[in-house]
Amino acid sequence: MVEARKLSKEYIRDADRVVALKDVDLEISGGEFLALMGPSGSGKSTLLHLIAAMDRPTSGQVLVLGKDPHSLAGRALARWRNVHIGFVFQSFNLIPVLTALENVALPLKLTSLSAKEQMEHATTVLSLVGLGDRLHHFPRQLSGGQEQRVAIARAIVTDPDFILADEPTGNLDAASANEILELLAALNRDHDKTIVMVTHDPHAVRFAKAIRYLEKGALRPAGEQPEDWVDRNISVVSVPSAKNSSEALL
Amino acid sequence: MAIPFSYNVRNLMVRKTTTMMTSAGIMLSVAVLVASLALVNGLRTVFANTGHPLQLLILRKGGTSELGSLLPTESFEILRSKAGMAVDGKGEALVSLELVNVANLPSVDNPKGMNITVRGINPVGIEMRSVRLTDGRWFRSGQREIVIGKSVARRYPTAKLGSRIRFGKGDWEIVGITDGGESVLNSEIWGDFNQIASDYNRQDSASSVLVRATDPVTLDALKHSIEDDRRLNATAITERDYYAGQTASGAPLEFLGIFVAVAMAIGSGFATTNTMYAAVAKRSKEIGTLRTLGFSEGSILLSFLTESMLIAVLAGVLGCVLVLPLNWVTSGVGSFVSFSEIAFRFRVGPTTIVSGVIFSVVLGVLGGALPARAAAKKEIIAALREG
Amino acid sequence: MRSCLSLVLRNTLRNRRRSSLTVASMAVSLCLLGVLLALYRGLFYGGETTPGQAKRIVVHHKIALTQELPVGYEQKIRQIAGVHAITSLRWFGGAYKDPGNSKNRFGQFAIEPASLVDVYPELRISEHEKDAFVSQKTACIASRALADRLGWKLGERIPLVGAAILPVTLDLTLVGIFDNPEGNAVLYFNRDYLRESLSASDFRRDMVQQYYVEADNKDAVPDVARQIDAMFDESSYPTKSEPEQAFMLSFVSFLGNLKVFLAVIFGAVTLTILLISGNMLSMSVRERTREVGVLKSLGFSSGEVLGMVVGEANLIALAGGLIGCGLAAALCMAMAGAMRNAPGFTSVVKGLSVSPLILTVTLGIALLIGSVSALAPGLNAARTSILDALRYNG
Repeated sequence: MVEARKLSKEYIRDADRVVALKDVDLEISGGEFLALMGPSGSGKSTLLHLIAAMDRPTSGQVLVLGKDPHSLAGRALARWRNVHIGFVFQSFNLIPVLTALENVALPLKLTSLSAKEQMEHATTVLSLVGLGDRLHHFPRQLSGGQEQRVAIARAIVTDPDFILADEPTGNLDAASANEILELLAALNRDHDKTIVMVTHDPHAVRFAKAIRYLEKGALRPAGEQPEDWVDRNISVVSVPSAKNSSEALL
Repeated sequence: MAIPFSYNVRNLMVRKTTTMMTSAGIMLSVAVLVASLALVNGLRTVFANTGHPLQLLILRKGGTSELGSLLPTESFEILRSKAGMAVDGKGEALVSLELVNVANLPSVDNPKGMNITVRGINPVGIEMRSVRLTDGRWFRSGQREIVIGKSVARRYPTAKLGSRIRFGKGDWEIVGITDGGESVLNSEIWGDFNQIASDYNRQDSASSVLVRATDPVTLDALKHSIEDDRRLNATAITERDYYAGQTASGAPLEFLGIFVAVAMAIGSGFATTNTMYAAVAKRSKEIGTLRTLGFSEGSILLSFLTESMLIAVLAGVLGCVLVLPLNWVTSGVGSFVSFSEIAFRFRVGPTTIVSGVIFSVVLGVLGGALPARAAAKKEIIAALREG
Repeated sequence: MRSCLSLVLRNTLRNRRRSSLTVASMAVSLCLLGVLLALYRGLFYGGETTPGQAKRIVVHHKIALTQELPVGYEQKIRQIAGVHAITSLRWFGGAYKDPGNSKNRFGQFAIEPASLVDVYPELRISEHEKDAFVSQKTACIASRALADRLGWKLGERIPLVGAAILPVTLDLTLVGIFDNPEGNAVLYFNRDYLRESLSASDFRRDMVQQYYVEADNKDAVPDVARQIDAMFDESSYPTKSEPEQAFMLSFVSFLGNLKVFLAVIFGAVTLTILLISGNMLSMSVRERTREVGVLKSLGFSSGEVLGMVVGEANLIALAGGLIGCGLAAALCMAMAGAMRNAPGFTSVVKGLSVSPLILTVTLGIALLIGSVSALAPGLNAARTSILDALRYNG
């Protein structure tokens, strides 16, 4: 389903040249639940962004369903993303002024469904994630775990080809994190959704079916993990702040 | 498809204070603009309503105002004998010899005294004008009696029915109040021609003659006939044109008003831009999210532009509403042609309001254009990272 | 303290766009305010009077400017104590060459040559030019502005064709060029020439439009004016005498209820600035909240922090105010130039400038707005605990 060939991404930050990804080759088949692991700065979020065509590779190519999304431009690319990708962010990124239902229905506004159909779809999906009774709540009225569930509902409402999750449990406590991971696993298992999840939480990894490791922009061959991985595996208690989030997005 | 409208509306409501402040600035700019337009509109209405379409005002050759014109009384007979004159019920030609001067009385706005047009007129002149008596009676010939227009009665405290005012060689008694609709004539004082002429030592020279043609074609011919007649040495101008030309008296105020409105608008425009930039910065993550969901650059641009326009249009409508009460306000402006005050009512009409709203829309677009573009052009990753 | 100032300056430059927009918005609004104040001053106070003008009285018909006074009044007025000199004036609206071209339009007045300089001491003209004017009946003198505009030299022949009211043609010769402080375009000629040109039956031969009286000194002016009016009060041509400045300003009343108009606009503009600029400044301050937390954690006191925040706002406000005043001054000069030759507005022109008082008031308003808008959010930021400030996500 996804084929990445010699994918590289570099950018300039404050006159420094940063290599985020170096010659990544990756294949993801349908129905997979892949976890991408690595420490901060390893490039895992960058890889996710490239697959979602939210960013352009410096060199190399990524093919999604046999097609290079970057052959499209402007509105066509935006539509492509709407149809094929469901993205889940670490900090949920729900629109604060819209209700849960409206947030979930938002991607449907770009389709040709009628308003009534849009709302029906959104309601169904929200019930699926267990929030059927919170349709008209605003994000500020929901707990972190509930917000993320709304975000997942939004990610699947267009029935995309796959779900990309960037540290989905990063801002959640252990109990909520568990719920979210169970939900993702269920989606993968019962509804055959392909999921690529970026995380540095070893507990989250257990819900995935496959793991690949990234280190300093390079993808480790399948089955291999860095030797000192166990030692470096300390869950960092992060204070939600701008500094941390931007690092995590690497 | 577009980002839902409710998204913009709700975001405006969330930052209520900022929205209201920016709105208020635009509202005041629009109010000043509409007020200025209403002033000119009111003036124009008064001048447009004065004058009969078939009537010609005869002045001394080269004269542009009744006040400065000296027409020998012989002109009256010459004009009466011309062809093409309309006649009254009795078959008499509708030709009126008139004398115009100014009197000075303390007014509501100017306690030190303001000029009022005094017109020496005969019954035929009254007949030629659509003016009716609302109070009292007409002046009698040979008597020191006058009637005043309703605006004079309203704006000059000493001018009341039955009271006396002084101009020329002495006192005059106010015996009646007239109503000319919404015209310049409401700001005039009328008296017997002969009485007024002698008071101003003008027995041999009147100011003007008013004539009426039978139809528009004759009007044109009459105009040329009069101007070409060497015995008369006169200029003929249609009554309508004569008064329309005086609208320029409001020009300084109109200019000032528009200048102020535009300056305020520029200031408000900067504020709108600033507000929208702040909103874009604050909602950076949302913009990134929306783009991720598949909304195009164009829809982001449109969405933020809509938001700034919403602020502006709301402000524009409120500004017009704020100014509506002016419709009941009467004011006066000095005409440099008649050297006297013309009373008028502010007129906030449909065109004025539409102008005000368009002004605010343009302001909204101009103010919001750059921030909207900035929002649209943001790189998805950069946008998600901000905030 | 010095480090605080540079920190304040640096902060202002941080979000350059926001700061420039705020400065721009304030500058435009304060410019408007300055212009309104200057306009008010010009229209109702007329600016500085020259010593000559301060002693001058205009005598015209009590009822209306269009009515005339007898020539005989001149002798009688001259007898009044306190009168230094008197001349009569009649406006002559003649056409010079092609009056359609605005260059050819200028003020023309018939006066008595001998007393001209006495009544208008600020007029500077050479002795022999003045003598030529007095001795030659068809002579005329023009202001330097007029002479320069039309390229006139001494000896120039200037024909003026009178219109409607005074249908005579005057054939004048330029014998002198004078300098006047107003710098407007004006021409004076001998009233006797006009008198003789009018037909014998024209009653205006013995009438004048206005008298210009120069009092002995400034303090004598009100008294002289009163005496003149008292002298002719009961006659068939009663007079109204007033200081020249007041006379010129009375034309302003023609523009309608301008005082109210200006006052309303002034209020609207001030309110707008307060709301808009004030809001923009508040926004900047609120954003600073997190930094305030950082600064306090570094050891700055609440008071020092508040001072920096308010200082920053005032810096922006002051910048806006200075630019605004500069713009206002430029605009006033432009308006004055445009109005210089408009009849009745010469005194307005004199007062139309950004005086030191206006500058102070405008800057004062700028600082007031800066302080007021920064105070509320500033105090809030200063009072917030360090942790809350760091967590602030506004």
